[in-house]
Amino acid sequence: MSRSMQDQARSDRRLSRLINIGLPYVWLGLFFLLPFVIVLHISLAESTLAQPPYTALWHWLDRGLLQIEINLGNFLLVFEDDLYAWALWHSLQVAFVSTVLCLLLGYPMAYAIATSASRWRLILLMLIILPFWTSFLIRVYAWIGILQTNGLLNDLLLWLGLIETPLSILHTPTAVYIGVVYSYLPFMILPLYANLTRLDPILLEAAADLGCRPLRAFFRITVPLSLPGILAGSMLVFIPVVGEFVIPDLLGGPESLMLGKLLWTEFFSNTDWPLASALAIVLLGILVVPFVMMQRLQQRLEENRP
Amino acid sequence: MKRQRWPLLSVLAFGYAFLYVPILLLILYSFNESRLVTVWSGFSTKWYGELFRNTQLLDAAWLSVRIAATNATFAVVLGTLAANAMVRHRHFRGRTGFELLITAPLVMPDVIIGLSLLLLFVAMQQGIGWPDGRGFTTITIAHITFSMAYVAVIVRARLLQLDRSLEEAAMDLGARPLTVYLRITLPLIAPALLAGWLLAFTLSLDDLVIASFVAGPGSTTLPMVIYSSVRLGVSPQINALATIIVAIVTLAVLIAALALRGERARR
Amino acid sequence: MATLAERRSLEPWQDPKAAPYLRIDRVTKKFGDVYAVDDVSLNIFQGEFFSLLGSSGCGKSTLLRLLAGLESPSSGRIFIDGVDVTAVPAYSRPVNMMFQSYALFPHMSVEQNIAFGLQQERLPSRERAERVAEMLNLLKISELRKRRPDQLSGGQRQRVALARSLAKHPKLLLLDEPLGALDKRLRENTQFELVNLQERLGITFVTVTHDQEEAMTMSTRIAVMDAGQIMQIDTPTAIYEFPTCRFVAEFIGSVNLFEGKVVESAGELVTVETQLGRPLQMRSFQPLAIGASVAVAIRPEKMRICSDYREDGVNQVQGVVEDIAYLGDVSIYRIRVADGSLVEMTLTNVQPRTEQALTWDQAVAIEWSPSSGVILTE
Repeated sequence: MSRSMQDQARSDRRLSRLINIGLPYVWLGLFFLLPFVIVLHISLAESTLAQPPYTALWHWLDRGLLQIEINLGNFLLVFEDDLYAWALWHSLQVAFVSTVLCLLLGYPMAYAIATSASRWRLILLMLIILPFWTSFLIRVYAWIGILQTNGLLNDLLLWLGLIETPLSILHTPTAVYIGVVYSYLPFMILPLYANLTRLDPILLEAAADLGCRPLRAFFRITVPLSLPGILAGSMLVFIPVVGEFVIPDLLGGPESLMLGKLLWTEFFSNTDWPLASALAIVLLGILVVPFVMMQRLQQRLEENRP
Repeated sequence: MKRQRWPLLSVLAFGYAFLYVPILLLILYSFNESRLVTVWSGFSTKWYGELFRNTQLLDAAWLSVRIAATNATFAVVLGTLAANAMVRHRHFRGRTGFELLITAPLVMPDVIIGLSLLLLFVAMQQGIGWPDGRGFTTITIAHITFSMAYVAVIVRARLLQLDRSLEEAAMDLGARPLTVYLRITLPLIAPALLAGWLLAFTLSLDDLVIASFVAGPGSTTLPMVIYSSVRLGVSPQINALATIIVAIVTLAVLIAALALRGERARR
Repeated sequence: MATLAERRSLEPWQDPKAAPYLRIDRVTKKFGDVYAVDDVSLNIFQGEFFSLLGSSGCGKSTLLRLLAGLESPSSGRIFIDGVDVTAVPAYSRPVNMMFQSYALFPHMSVEQNIAFGLQQERLPSRERAERVAEMLNLLKISELRKRRPDQLSGGQRQRVALARSLAKHPKLLLLDEPLGALDKRLRENTQFELVNLQERLGITFVTVTHDQEEAMTMSTRIAVMDAGQIMQIDTPTAIYEFPTCRFVAEFIGSVNLFEGKVVESAGELVTVETQLGRPLQMRSFQPLAIGASVAVAIRPEKMRICSDYREDGVNQVQGVVEDIAYLGDVSIYRIRVADGSLVEMTLTNVQPRTEQALTWDQAVAIEWSPSSGVILTE
C-alpha cells in the first residue's frame, strides 16, 4: 500500500515539475530563444527586393550538393562604417551618462524616502511608481511641449530674464538625457530604496557611538552596504537605454543616432532586414556582459538571503 | 543627534517636481482653447470632444485594451508557473538557463524583441502557415513573452516570503500537493498575482516598439496611433488622452490605497 | 505502593515484551555532506510524552520532520504501530504536527483552520462541525472561533495550533518547540496543561525542545541529542542524576567534572586519582579497570560545607571563594581549589542574604558523599 502511495507522490511531483518548468520553458524557448537563432541566421544573409527581403543561406544543387552562402558584409559594415560606429559609441555614451545622472538624482531621493517617517514612506514610494503606470510614450511627449524653441521652459526663462533668446534644447543630446533620466528614474530608485530600507539604522548608531561623524558614516557604512542596490539600479537603467528607440526618436536630433533608432530605420525605412538583424546581434553582444553581471549579482543576493 | 535634512529634502522635492511637472502641464494644456500648446487662450473641453469623435483612436484603444487583458491573463499563468519552478523546484537541470531566459526579457531592448519575434512569425508563416497574417494574435504573443518575466519576478518575491511551514502544515493535515497549492499557496500569493496582472496589462498598453514590429496592416494599437500623431508635433488631443489615462490610474491607485487601509482597519 | 506490574505499564520501555508504537530504525538524514540525523534508533511507546532535547542544529527538528514525513530519510526505516511508513508521504501519515511557528493559515478563521484537516478526510459536515466544537471546548477557545490568526495573542495562537493538530484524533502528535514562542509565565502554566491534556487523551506525544527545564517537567522520557546522534535516552531523573557521558552531564544543569584515573576498585566503591592532590571515592554501577581515564561528575547542589576537614579526608577539598551569584532562593559559589580550577557549589539561602554563610575571599572546605555523583567514562 505504501509503495503505491509513494509512487503516487512521486508522479504528482513529476507532473508538477513538468508543468511548472516545462510550460514556461517551452514558451520562452519558442518565442524568445528561437527568434534569436533566426535573427542570427538572417544577419548572415543578403538584402534583396523580394518577399521576405533576404536571400536564403543555402541552396540544394544537383547531385546532393549543398551550397551555403554566408555573408559577413552586414557585420563588416556595422563596424567599419562611421555612421554605425558612431551610433554604437553614442548609444553607450548616452546609456552611461544617463545611468550616472539617474544615480546622482535617484540615490538622494531613495535615501530620503527610506529614512522618512514610516507614514510618509508608502505615499512617497507610490508617487515614484505612479508615473510608471501612465503611458511612457505620452510622458516623453510631454517634454516636447516643454523643451521646444517656443516651449514652456523657454517662455519661463525669458520671462525670468535669465536668457535673451530662446535656447534650442529639443532635438539635441540634452533633450535625450532629460527624457531618459525622466523615464528611467523609477528603475534606479526602486532597487536602491529596497536596499536602503533593509539597512539596519543601528549600524549608523554604532558608527556614531564609535565617533564617526554622520557624513563620514554615510560614505563608510551606508554607501558600501548599498552597493548591490546601486549595481542593480544601474543595470536596470543602462541595459535598456542602450537600445532605446522612442526617446532619441522623439526628443533627439540627427546627431542623437542610437542603435535602437538605427535598427528601426534600417528595418522600416530601408527594409534592410539582414542589416537590422546584424545590428540586433551586435547590440545583444554588447549587452551580454552587463546582463550576466546583473544575473550574478541577483544570484549572490539570493544566496545571502537568510 | 539631529541631522540636517533640508539638503536631502530639497533634492527629493526637485525629483518629484521633475517627475510630476510635465504631467501636470500636460493635463493643464488639455483644457486649452488654442491648438498651440504653449499659448493659453482660455478654458475649453473641446479636445475631449474631438478625442471621443476620433474613431481611429478609439478603435486602436479598444484593440489595445483587448490585447492587454488577454496578455495579462496568459502572462500571470505562465509567470506564476515560472516562479513556482524557480522557488519550488530549486534544483533541476538547466536551471541557470531557465533563470537567464526568465530575466532576459526584463532588460532586453524592445527593438530586439520586436525584430526577432517578427522574423520568427515570418519564418513560421512560411514554414507551417501559422500565424496567418499578423495582428491581435502576434502582438499578444509578443507581449506575453516579455510580460511573463515581470509577473515571474513579482510572484517569485512573494513566494520567497511565504512561510514554508504553512504549506507543510496543510500537507501534515492530509492535503495533497494540488490541494495545498489551491487552498493555501494561491490565496496567500493572490495580491502578487493581482499586481502582476495589472503590471502586465500596463506594459502591454504602453508598448509601441514591439507592437510596431509584429503588427500587421489593419491592426493599429493605441501607442502606434499616439506615436504617429506625436511625430507630427504637439497635439492637444493627445493631452486630453493623457489626462484621461492619468485620471484612471490615479483613481485605481486611490481605490487600491483605500481598500488597503480598510483591510488594515478591519484587523 | 504500586505493584511491579503497574510500574511496568507506566514504564513500558522496561518491559522487553512491550511493542513500541513508534519505531525508528537506524535512520540517517544527510543534507549534502552534513549528517543532520546520524544513524538514530529509537522506540517510543503508546501514551508516552517523549522529548527530543538538544541545542539548535543538533538534528532534533529534522528527526521530527522525518517522523511527520516532511523529509524522507537517506537510509533507515520508520514504523508506526508496526507499519512501515518510511515511504508514506506526509499527507497520508496517521500523524499530526504542531509547528514551531504554529503555521496557522492567515486567510482562514480559527474554525476554518481547525476544520482544514477534517475536510481533507472528507468527513461529513455535521461530524466536522461537532469535531470542531469539541476541539474548541477542549482548549477553551470557543469564543475565538470566528477570529483570524492575526487577531489572536501568542497564547491563543498556540491553543488554536494545538486544536488544529488534535482535530483529526491522531494517535501520535509531534510538537516542534510547542512552548517556544510563549513568554516565561505563560510557558510554565501551559506545561502542566499540555501534560494533563496528553494524559487525558492518551495520545503519544513527541516534542522537540531546547529548554531542559521544559523537557524535565513534561516528559516521561528524554532523548538528548548532539550532532545528529542520540547521546542518552532516559527518564528525566536518570538523565539528571545518572548521565552516561560528559556531554549529557554538562548539557543538563551544571556539573563539576574532575578528570582522573582509576587507582582502586573495591566492590561498588571506586577510587580516582585527580589533580586535586587527593583521591576521590565514588560509587560506580559498572566495573572499571585500574588505570582507566574517567571523570567524576558532581552537581553543585550536592556539595556541602565541610565542618570536620582533615588532611586525608575523602571527597574533601579546600579553596577560596572567588565569585558569588545570588539568585534569591539559592546562591552559587565558585571556589578556587588547590589545582587552580573552579568548583561550583549551590547552597539554599535558608537565612536572609545579609547572614550568608560565605563571603568573598573566604577560605572554605567542601565535601560530598560517594553516592552523590557519577563516574563518566565517555
